[in-house]
Amino acid sequence: MRSRIYTIISGHFKSWYRSKSNIFWTIAFPLLLIVLFGAIFGSGSTKFDLYVQNQDLVANAPTSLSQGYVNNLTSTGAFSLHMVAAEQTDPITYVKNDAQLHNRGQRLLVIPLGFQTTLNTTHQANIQLYMDQSDQASASLAGIVNAATVSYAARLSPTADNVSVQQVGIVTKNIRYIDFFIPGVIGMTLLTTGVFGAVNTNGRYRELKIIKKLATTPLSKIEWILGMVGYQMILATISLVVILFFGYAIFGVTATIDIYTVGLVVAASLLFPGIGMVLANFVKEAESADAAANAITFPMMFLAGTFWPRETLPDIMKVIANFMPLTYVNDGLRDALIYAEPAQALTNTLIALGLAAFFIVLGSVLMNWKEE
Amino acid sequence: MSDNLPAPLPGQSGKVVQVDKLSKKYGDNVAVNDISFSLTKGEVFAFLGPNGAGKTTTVEILECLRNPTGGQARVLGYDVSKRSDQAEIRKRIGVLPQDFNAIDRLTVRENINYFGAMFKHQLDADKLIELVDLKDKRDEQFKKLSGGLKQRVGLAVSLVNDPDVVFLDEPTTGLDPRARRDVWGVIERLKSQGKTVFLTTHYMDEAEFLADIVSIIDHGQIIASGTPDQLIDAHGGKKTLIIRDAGEEGLKQLPQGLPKAELRNAGDIAIPLHNGELTNILMSIAQSPLHDKEIEVRRPTLDDVFLNLTGRRVSEEGN
Repeated sequence: MRSRIYTIISGHFKSWYRSKSNIFWTIAFPLLLIVLFGAIFGSGSTKFDLYVQNQDLVANAPTSLSQGYVNNLTSTGAFSLHMVAAEQTDPITYVKNDAQLHNRGQRLLVIPLGFQTTLNTTHQANIQLYMDQSDQASASLAGIVNAATVSYAARLSPTADNVSVQQVGIVTKNIRYIDFFIPGVIGMTLLTTGVFGAVNTNGRYRELKIIKKLATTPLSKIEWILGMVGYQMILATISLVVILFFGYAIFGVTATIDIYTVGLVVAASLLFPGIGMVLANFVKEAESADAAANAITFPMMFLAGTFWPRETLPDIMKVIANFMPLTYVNDGLRDALIYAEPAQALTNTLIALGLAAFFIVLGSVLMNWKEE
Repeated sequence: MSDNLPAPLPGQSGKVVQVDKLSKKYGDNVAVNDISFSLTKGEVFAFLGPNGAGKTTTVEILECLRNPTGGQARVLGYDVSKRSDQAEIRKRIGVLPQDFNAIDRLTVRENINYFGAMFKHQLDADKLIELVDLKDKRDEQFKKLSGGLKQRVGLAVSLVNDPDVVFLDEPTTGLDPRARRDVWGVIERLKSQGKTVFLTTHYMDEAEFLADIVSIIDHGQIIASGTPDQLIDAHGGKKTLIIRDAGEEGLKQLPQGLPKAELRNAGDIAIPLHNGELTNILMSIAQSPLHDKEIEVRRPTLDDVFLNLTGRRVSEEGN
C-alpha cells in the first residue's frame, strides 16, 4: 500500500516539476507577487506618518482652532498626515489595519470634541497622541508634535501653556505590509495548488481514462486520495520554505515555523484538494472544472485577507469572508509565522483542520472511482 | 509470463470468462440485454459491433467497473458482482480502456512502472517495452509520442501485471492504418504467447484478422457468434467474382447465361458465385470482350455478415 501511495506521489511530483507552467504558478508567481506588492506598498517615506482624527466638528466641518492646529502640524513639513473620519468609533483599530495595509507607522493623534470650546472658555485643551513606545521613531515624532503644539499655543496666547499633548501608549507589533502579505501569499499558493491540483488531476485524469485504468487495478480510492494529499503536502512545504526564504532574503521578514504552521500545512493539504475534488465531481469536464476552480479561488483570494486586512473590507464582505476556508488558513499562518500568537494560531489551525476533515471526506465520498 | 489460473469454482468449466444472461439497464435504457458467451484460455475473443451496441458496458462489467442489473458474469472463476471476488479479479486482469492515455509527462518506462506499482508483482518494464517494440522511445515522455505509439504504451501498461486475461477496449480506434497494423502485431504476439484476449472493436477486418471467436453485438444483444469462418459461411453470403473497371459498357458485354450481375461503385461488375460455377464463368468471360479485364474472386467478409444480419454497414467511425 505504501509503495502505491509513494508511486502516486512521485508520479504527480514528476509531472509537476516537468511542467514549466506548474513551476511558474507554484513558485515564480507567488515570488513575483511578493516583489510587486512589496515594491508598491513597501516604499518608505522620509516624513513621519501620522494619522489624525479631528473630532472637533461643528456642522460636519472642523472648528477653526482645530483646523488651525492641523494646519500647523502640516506646516512643519515633518509629517505625512492621514485623516481619520470623525465618525470612526474605533480609530485605534482602524489605524492599526490601515497602517499595516499601507506600510505606515501606527500613530494616531486625536483632537477631541470640544477642543475649540474648551480652549476658548478655559484656555486649556488636551490632545491625545497614541503611539507605540517601542516604535523607534516615537521619541522623535513626539518631540516634533510637542514642538508644533507649543508653537501653535504660543500663537494663541503668550503664556504658551494652554495646549498640552497627552501621550498614550498603544501596543503595535511593528508589522509591515510585507510581513502581513507573505503569509497571505503562502495561503494563496496552498489554495491554488490544492484546488487546481485536485481539479486537474481528477478532471483531466478522468478524461484521459487514467482513473478508469487505475480503478481496474488493486489500487483503492483511499490510496489514490492519500497519494494526492501527500503530493500536496510536499508542494505546500516547498512553497512555504521558498516563500519564507525569499521574504527573509529580500525583505528581511522573519517568521517562526512552529507546530501550528505544520498543522496548517497539513490542513491546507487536505482542505483545498478536498474542495477541488468536490468541484471535479460536480463539473465533469476538465475545462469547466478549471473555470469553476477559478470562480471559487479568486473571490477567496481577495476576500480572505490575502492582500489586505479583512477589517478594511465593507461589512457584508467581512461576513462573507468568515465563511471562506482560506480566511482561517491565512489568519492561522499569520498568527503562527509572524504575530507569534499561539492561542489564536491554535484556534485557526483547529478550524482549518475541521474544515479540512469535512471537505476531504465529502470529496472522497463524492469522487466516482467506478463508472456507475 | 505465468499461466496460473485459479482453481475453477464449483459449477465452472475452467472458462476464463463466463457470461450468462447478463443485462445492464440505465433507467429504461437497456444497454446490455440478456447476453451469454464464454472465453476459453488462450483464445482471442472479439466483441464486434457498432458504437453504442453495448460492448464497452459489457467489458466494464467484466472489469468490475460497473455492476450488472441482471444475469451473472465470472472472470477467472470469480463473480464480478461480489466485492470480495472483485479484488481477486483486479489482481489478475489487464485492462486497456477505450481512449486511454498514460500520464503525459512521465516517460514510457516511468508510465509502465507507475501502473505496475499498483500490483504486487509486475513484469520487467524493459521486457514489455521490447514486446511492444518501443525500445527507442522508452525515455520519451508520453505526450511526445504519436497516437500509434501511445496505444502501444497502453498495451504494455495493460500487460504489466502479467494478467491471465487482457481486456482491450477498441484498441485501434482513431489510429491510421499503419499504426493499426502495428497494434495488431502486438496482439498477435500476445496470442502466440497463449494470452487470453478479450477485444472489443467496430472494425470488421480487425476482428476477422485477430480473433479466434467473434460475437457480434447490436442494440445490446448478441446476434451471432462463432469463428470468423463460421460466421462468414453462415451469414456472409456467396463469394463474388469481380471484373474491375468494366463499367456500364462491360455489363452489356457480359456473355449470356451468367448469374445476375450488378455494377458496383468504381465501375466494378460483381457476379455472385454458386458452387462449381467459377470455371465455367471464367471460361465464358475469357471468350468475351472483357477477357483483358482484371478479375478477382472476393470472399465475403464480416462486413457482409453484419450487413446480412442487420441490414446496415458499420462506418469507419463505428456508427
